[in-house]
Amino acid sequence: MIMLRDIRKVYTSASEEVVALKNISLHVKVGEFCVLKGASGSGKSTVLSLIAGLSKPSSGEVMVDGKQISKLPDTFSAHFRRRNIGFIFQKYHLIPTLSVKDNIIVPLIPENLPLAQIEQRVQNVMEKFSIAHKATSMVKYLSGGEQQRVAIARALVNHPKIILADEPTANLDATLSMELMTIFEMLKNEGVSIIVATHDPLFFDLACVDSIKEMKNGEIVS
Amino acid sequence: MTLTPEIIALLMLDALFLFFSLIALVLSVRIFLKWDMHSTHALQYSLEKQSYLVSVVIKYIFTLKIPLFLFFIFTCNKLSNIITGAMCAAGVVNSVDFGLYLTVFKIINLYFFGFWLLLNRADMKEEKLPFTKLKFLLFILFFVPLLAEIVLEISFFSSLNISKIVSCCGTLFSAASTSYLSLLFKVDKTLVVGIFYFFAFLIGIAYFLKNSVVFIFANGMFVIFAIVSLIVFFSTYVYELPTHNCPFCLLQKEYYGVGYVMYVTLYIGTFFGIGGTILNGLLRSDDRLFLKISLLFDTLYVLIVSAYPLSYYLKNGVWL
Amino acid sequence: MKNKINLFLVEYAINALVRRGGKHFFIGFIFTFLIFLLSSTLFISDAIKLELGSALHALPEITLQRFVAGKQSDVPIQRVDALLDIEGVKSAIPRVWGYYYFKPAGVNFSVIGMDAFSRQYTQTLQTIVDGIDMKALEKENGMIVGEGVKKILGANYYQDFFNFVTSDGQWKKVFIAGTFNASISLEANDMILLPKKIAYEIFGMDTTRATDIVVSVSNPKEISMVVNKINLLYPDMRTITKDDIRVSYQNIFDYKSGFFLSLFMVCAFTFFIIVYDKLSGLSSEEKKEIGILKAVGWSMDDIIKEKFYESFILSLGAFMLGICFSLFFVYGLQAPLLRDIFMGYSNLKPSFNLPFSVDGGMLCLLFLLSVPIYIGATLIPTWRASILDADEVMR
Repeated sequence: MIMLRDIRKVYTSASEEVVALKNISLHVKVGEFCVLKGASGSGKSTVLSLIAGLSKPSSGEVMVDGKQISKLPDTFSAHFRRRNIGFIFQKYHLIPTLSVKDNIIVPLIPENLPLAQIEQRVQNVMEKFSIAHKATSMVKYLSGGEQQRVAIARALVNHPKIILADEPTANLDATLSMELMTIFEMLKNEGVSIIVATHDPLFFDLACVDSIKEMKNGEIVS
Repeated sequence: MTLTPEIIALLMLDALFLFFSLIALVLSVRIFLKWDMHSTHALQYSLEKQSYLVSVVIKYIFTLKIPLFLFFIFTCNKLSNIITGAMCAAGVVNSVDFGLYLTVFKIINLYFFGFWLLLNRADMKEEKLPFTKLKFLLFILFFVPLLAEIVLEISFFSSLNISKIVSCCGTLFSAASTSYLSLLFKVDKTLVVGIFYFFAFLIGIAYFLKNSVVFIFANGMFVIFAIVSLIVFFSTYVYELPTHNCPFCLLQKEYYGVGYVMYVTLYIGTFFGIGGTILNGLLRSDDRLFLKISLLFDTLYVLIVSAYPLSYYLKNGVWL
Repeated sequence: MKNKINLFLVEYAINALVRRGGKHFFIGFIFTFLIFLLSSTLFISDAIKLELGSALHALPEITLQRFVAGKQSDVPIQRVDALLDIEGVKSAIPRVWGYYYFKPAGVNFSVIGMDAFSRQYTQTLQTIVDGIDMKALEKENGMIVGEGVKKILGANYYQDFFNFVTSDGQWKKVFIAGTFNASISLEANDMILLPKKIAYEIFGMDTTRATDIVVSVSNPKEISMVVNKINLLYPDMRTITKDDIRVSYQNIFDYKSGFFLSLFMVCAFTFFIIVYDKLSGLSSEEKKEIGILKAVGWSMDDIIKEKFYESFILSLGAFMLGICFSLFFVYGLQAPLLRDIFMGYSNLKPSFNLPFSVDGGMLCLLFLLSVPIYIGATLIPTWRASILDADEVMR
């Protein structure tokens, strides 16, 4: 499903070269729940953005669902991302001045689908995460838990095959974290591949986690 | 130099186009030289981003070029009020030696940039971006006529002299004129009209035989003979005057601006006929959409211009 | 083929405009104002051109002035008969007229001498004269004045009469017998009509001479031929055709509006630098938003489109608003302040209504002068925003 082969990623700024990733190889199967653990700055987020096609490797290749995503031109990688990948960010990263519904619609906009179809999908996902009653409230007035559910709804509105989560529990209290775990478990049972980048120990002894990779200074150490 | 508001608008947009097209040129040269789809170097990624700027800029220029072409003719028509002797845009355009070249460049550029956008669209549809090098090479080539047009237009407006007496279209477009345009009138009218209909017919044949080469050729000849026959034959029926042969007066209010409709249909028809078919060749596709559009608009043009002499004949029982 | 306009994207763009209201309101406001200024100027100058055009319509086809040593001089009246002999000439009328400088108010009056029986050379004058008994006027030593003249004289305590100072320093007392209404205001506002005899006296002219001669031609297509013949017959006479006057007026106003437009361009240029700057400086909020959009699957193309819709909606809105304001300002309020720029040549002139003269060509011109240029200013900032790295949001 997801294959990273000999990835090297170098950031070049005016004065120096920073090696963010070296010799990364990773394989994640369909329906696998993979945790990337490591301190901040170890390169976990970069791996996620490579998988999503948001950034491109300096060498090596990234295959996702049989497609070499690192070689796709922007229009196609965006299209691919839209169809196959759902993102959950550390601080939810919603657009605070839009309503719940408008936030969830955002990934659907470039598809230019008929209105009824969009409404249907948004409604479904809002009900699934029980935020339908807040559909028209502005996101910035919601509680943390509600915001998190909006963020997850947005990630899932396109029925992605892969979920990428970047420090999803960093800002959550214990209850909300547990709620998130249940959602991940549910998604895994639906056959979704999940990759979580985190240093939260909560994930390390979770029953549903299939593999744990530890990263340090841009390398996978175990 | 006369600075009417219209001229200032045209000159200002020219300056803007010049600025943007220079940026696009520099980027195009870089992309053309360094483009490598397989490279994972940071340079390639930044070239990819820059290619977007080029296409945005060209889209911007082209979308404005079409209305600006019509606006240019409109401005010349309006200037003919000030310039002594000119009755319509023809006199104004010809009041400067290179006025005709300017118009020709403007028309050529409309075809070139339209084609570039078609190619760009086709390119962006493919994962491998197969035409990227080609399209940037083409832009570098197309920059020459674009620059020529802009330079000619600026010098055209700055050398317009309102106190100079110019000829009106009546003398320009007649056999008596000494210009090379008069050559047109030495040829037999019926022959020209015959050739025009012949190529219209050939377009139809090529469409059904699915022969792209003939289709392109016929469309190319069709534009030329459409314009020639419009000058020597069809325009007289629009004006209902046997001596009035002008391709510009058609655009005036007296004739309900029918010229705009004629020129736009002719452009769309032949543009898709030539550009669309060439693109199909590049794509090795036999999508008939462009050909259909082309055939539709070419036919429409033939119908519009034919309607005038026919209705004249039906009304008066004689030909002009 | 997906060529449909993506309405959701448009909606998102409108939403984005509203959400960042402060920034866009400022730009929108100034842009509206600029368009308002620009369109008002062009509307006014076009309206004046139209008004002049209708005034010119009434002018004689050919005016003949005699030049002696490069200066305009009086024409011997007997030349009229010779002119009438030229084929194609319908009529030739000698005119006696001139400007009278009224020092206390610092203005020029147009003084025109009239005959009781002669046909008038313009429609306007004819209507005026038709309503007047010239013979009575001559007898009672009276004159008919335009409303503007009446006002100025009244302000200087000349209620019933006026003392002209003739060229030899004498006072010539002329009674104000009446005024004519200002329906043909632009040309008649500063006019004084009086019998020819008095006009000769005021200007100190020889009665065998005239100021100039106006010639009308039966077939307008023969004007240039008649002009040639007159030039052959009287080399010292300059012929001014109606067309010449029209062209020179057109030039003056094109020049004036061109000049104004050039100034406007400087303002506009400054404005676009501001736009460029404002749009280039993305707040971290905006950067984050673009990162989010990319992460959830927007392509650069989608972002460029969204930003394009934003600037198109903003500029089109400002364009329409600016046009509406200036339509109201120019035709509703008669353009206070601004019209003076265009009519600064006499205190007496400005008292006519600007006729409505907006057409499609004018709207196209205004559109081309504003919207495409605004969008041009946003092209590079838009592209810059679209290539932002989405990595920003990952940290």
